[in-house]
Amino acid sequence: MQNERRNVLLDVRNLSITFGRGTKTFKAVDNVSFHIYKGETFGLVGESGSGKTTIGRAILRIHPTSGGDVLYKGKKINGKLSRAEDYEVIRHMQMIFQDPMASLNERAKVSDIIAEGLMNLQPDLSAKEKKRRVEEALLSVGLLPEFSSRFPHEFSGGQRQRIGIARCLIMNPEFIVADEPISALDVSIRAQVLNLLLRFQKERGLTYLFIAHDLSVVRFVASRVAVIHKGVIVEMANTEQLFSRPLHPYTKALLSAVPIPNPLLEKKKELLIYDPSCHNYESEAPQWTEIEPEHFIWANRPELAQYRKALDL
Amino acid sequence: MRTGWKWNFLCRKIEALEENMKNGLEMEKNGGPQRDVPELTREQIEAIPQQLFTPASFNEEEAEKISYSNYSYWASTLKNFWKNKAAAVLIVALALLIAFTVIQPYLPGQRPATLINNDPDTGMHLRNLPPDGEYWFGTNDIGQDLWARIWAGTRTSLFIGVVVALSDLIAGMILGLVWGYVRKVDRLFTEAYNIISNIPQTLILILVSYILRPSLSTIIISMCMVGWLAMARFVRNQVIFVRDRDFNLASRCLGTSTFKIICRNLIPQMVSVVSLQTVLAIPGAMGDEVFLTYIGLGLPVAIPSLGNLVNDGRVLMMSPQLRYQLIFPAAVIGFITIAFYVIGNAFADASDPKNHV
Amino acid sequence: MGQKTDAAKNDTIKNDALQNDAVISVRDLNVKFHLRGQRLHALRGISLDIHQGESLAIVGESGSGKSVFIKNFIGLLDKNGWIDSGEIWFAGQDLAKLKDEKVWRKIRGGKIAMVMQDPMTSLNPLKTIGWQIAEALKLHQGLAGEAAKNKTAELLSDVGISLPETRMKQYPHEFSGGMRQRVVIAIALACNPEILICDEPTTALDVTIQAQILQLLKDLKEKHHLTTIYITHDLGVVANVADRIAVMYAGDVIEVGTCEEIFFQPKHPYTWSLLSSLPQLAAGEEELYCISGTPPNLFQTIQGDAFAPRNPWALQVDFLYRPPYFEVSPTHKAKTWLLDPRAPKIEPPAAIRRMMELGKQPQARAGRKESADAK
Repeated sequence: MQNERRNVLLDVRNLSITFGRGTKTFKAVDNVSFHIYKGETFGLVGESGSGKTTIGRAILRIHPTSGGDVLYKGKKINGKLSRAEDYEVIRHMQMIFQDPMASLNERAKVSDIIAEGLMNLQPDLSAKEKKRRVEEALLSVGLLPEFSSRFPHEFSGGQRQRIGIARCLIMNPEFIVADEPISALDVSIRAQVLNLLLRFQKERGLTYLFIAHDLSVVRFVASRVAVIHKGVIVEMANTEQLFSRPLHPYTKALLSAVPIPNPLLEKKKELLIYDPSCHNYESEAPQWTEIEPEHFIWANRPELAQYRKALDL
Repeated sequence: MRTGWKWNFLCRKIEALEENMKNGLEMEKNGGPQRDVPELTREQIEAIPQQLFTPASFNEEEAEKISYSNYSYWASTLKNFWKNKAAAVLIVALALLIAFTVIQPYLPGQRPATLINNDPDTGMHLRNLPPDGEYWFGTNDIGQDLWARIWAGTRTSLFIGVVVALSDLIAGMILGLVWGYVRKVDRLFTEAYNIISNIPQTLILILVSYILRPSLSTIIISMCMVGWLAMARFVRNQVIFVRDRDFNLASRCLGTSTFKIICRNLIPQMVSVVSLQTVLAIPGAMGDEVFLTYIGLGLPVAIPSLGNLVNDGRVLMMSPQLRYQLIFPAAVIGFITIAFYVIGNAFADASDPKNHV
Repeated sequence: MGQKTDAAKNDTIKNDALQNDAVISVRDLNVKFHLRGQRLHALRGISLDIHQGESLAIVGESGSGKSVFIKNFIGLLDKNGWIDSGEIWFAGQDLAKLKDEKVWRKIRGGKIAMVMQDPMTSLNPLKTIGWQIAEALKLHQGLAGEAAKNKTAELLSDVGISLPETRMKQYPHEFSGGMRQRVVIAIALACNPEILICDEPTTALDVTIQAQILQLLKDLKEKHHLTTIYITHDLGVVANVADRIAVMYAGDVIEVGTCEEIFFQPKHPYTWSLLSSLPQLAAGEEELYCISGTPPNLFQTIQGDAFAPRNPWALQVDFLYRPPYFEVSPTHKAKTWLLDPRAPKIEPPAAIRRMMELGKQPQARAGRKESADAK
């Protein structure tokens, strides 16, 4: 396939993340595997509490992992790293946060917020150069250079999110975890942020892990999508594949819940409800299987047979 | 010691303030004068010239300009604070009182606080003179000038209060920040706190006062030894409250060191609550000094302090003509304590963004 | 809704008749706020009728005044705000002049109930949900004892909570977000209201739950003959539930029409922007249309059309005069100078043109795939 010739940038293998200690542990992510190709947008979709944010944060080393590997360009980046390796990860990977109201330090000037990462990597940067880079970053996200001396509370949600993006891009990262970057924004300004992300991807060849709870957004931005439910990825496929031929009942339920902005269709739409008890995993445990090229699913053998039939394989 | 109403009051204030901070700097917008624009009538609509119905030029940059905000959190807080008349009067009075306390010995015609005044004719001590033109607050039972003693005592007590509050602040801040931010030590610190805080603080104070000779430094050391606990716990709670907020995670992602995160992200968030707590620790320590002196573990009698003065006065409370010896020092300490709390209260209210209308 | 009833409705709008089927009639409502020594003109002369038995969606971004608008119906305007002028007619009285808190208490809950965005804020965490519903029943329907208990169970199963007998003994924290929202809806229904206001009822919920709650609200509306008002910032979610849509911008209703009219024949550039910024409507590689800039500052007088500075299709007249309503159809009107006969013909963005095409197609042929992929 075409995909096999592409470079895998990030490879997550059998990742598990556990919270708590002693007897009160909670497995937030259980044995999750996926890979992201260079230059693509990989969508990770799930409801709140599904563990999608946890995965994003674990990749960026904010949460410790309790099992499995995270490989970036073939190099393991989870677990203990030396200081130099840690810096290397920071240089290459950045994150865009969900809530622009919470992700900017209220007591810092916009210029300091944007330059924060830059000054960590290049502490001896001259003030003039810093100013130039900050203004360049502001302009690139459609904000005016004069904003650099303001404080975050003077900006609207969309503008703050763009400041967050500028802060991220000034580091020249290769890989960005975008954790629901638009769900806290008003619908009218979501498009602006999405367009920005897509434009930077084209210009700079960025790779995104795009975390979302809403399939409609993912369909627009992502080339491949994984659907996660209660810490387990249940289905992963190319976007068109997943949208045209969803297999897992949870994926189907998610798809049916996407609001369609068309009253004629929306009023006729049939809402599917996912009931985990439809799986019979007592007799046989499910496995992560590639059912057709680039289409993975979490299922046991009887289910696989059923899915194959649905796909006419 | 710092239990009872004072402590509860303080906790409530701090909680209210925390709540205010939590709501943060949300509301903004500013603007200019405003007038209502009447709706157009049909005739007016028809009279609009045709050439106006042509596309206008569109300037994206113009649309991006923020029309909002000359709102500043601290400016609004100050403005609201001054609106509270009682607090405004008290803060001015308190500032004057403190200033006077400092400069009083350098003013002309002041007697030393420890000087025993003798009658120039008889050479007898001027004992227990009621207030008059010469001795404004009268004299005590060995003929010392009560006016001078009260200011000297206020000086001592304020000094104790400020030193203890500052040491609470420094020790509590450092330990609290480590306790709150470094997850690994949380368990250890919490257990240590539980043990230490379960020993009655009075006991520690008494113990230290017994071991060391009674002196100014003894009383300060003993109060510092217990004071930081509450502050550290308070700072720790504050840190935990902001520690996992997104902007700190963002800083970690950007490779900012823990030290810088603490200095730039955490401390600025806590400035107002912690400074309020510190300011309120001053009257707290002054009260403690009075209490320690009352149970006989305070300063030596030779050093005038409000505690010593109140204690001396207390003995004479039963004879009505000598009551002034209690009333004057009690009034001063009462005023200082009340002023601090009223000001703290007003500050907590003023810093609530909900009141910034 | 048939064409005929729509036409009839329009007559009532035209004649400004306040009786007939308008449950709430708002006329030229101006609401202002005192904020830090300045005056904020939050609602700038809104006129809107809400009809008996309809479901109306009020759509607008944050700060457009949609929440302020409906707060007037339940007399819960913030204390620094006041109604400067205008009328709100409901059940024969002008709510704009109603000051009596006793009467308000009867209207609030009893006649107009509200479902808030965050269910946790409207539930008491210390009481069982059964107790909370029974309390509402006692207050508004005078039920007590066994009758209240039966009614509670009935309401809970009405809102789709299984095993109502057991669930009513539980506390709010034992429920998930979606279930809590169902409980809040049950409490609102216990008041037996005529009008149900839903303020962003699903924003805090997951997509699958959101769809279920919307469906539930739609079913309940039929069953209890409610008039429902939805407030939301997302046009996408109301396609299913709304009969009519009112689009708000900067404290004014700038376009109002039936659901189909707003989706398939939007006239105001702001409505275009709202619709075409939805990723569901994007086609292929094309960039989403987006609105630049920020909403206007309502502390200042707004000259002309409030949307003009952000509007790429703005005419010169937009910056000078505030547009009146232009009628597009008996049920559809919009405040934009583009509808004036003298205005040039302007091509809406691509996504809107596709929606207009879809609207013309026979319903049967409008497949789901086409809606997203049609070029």
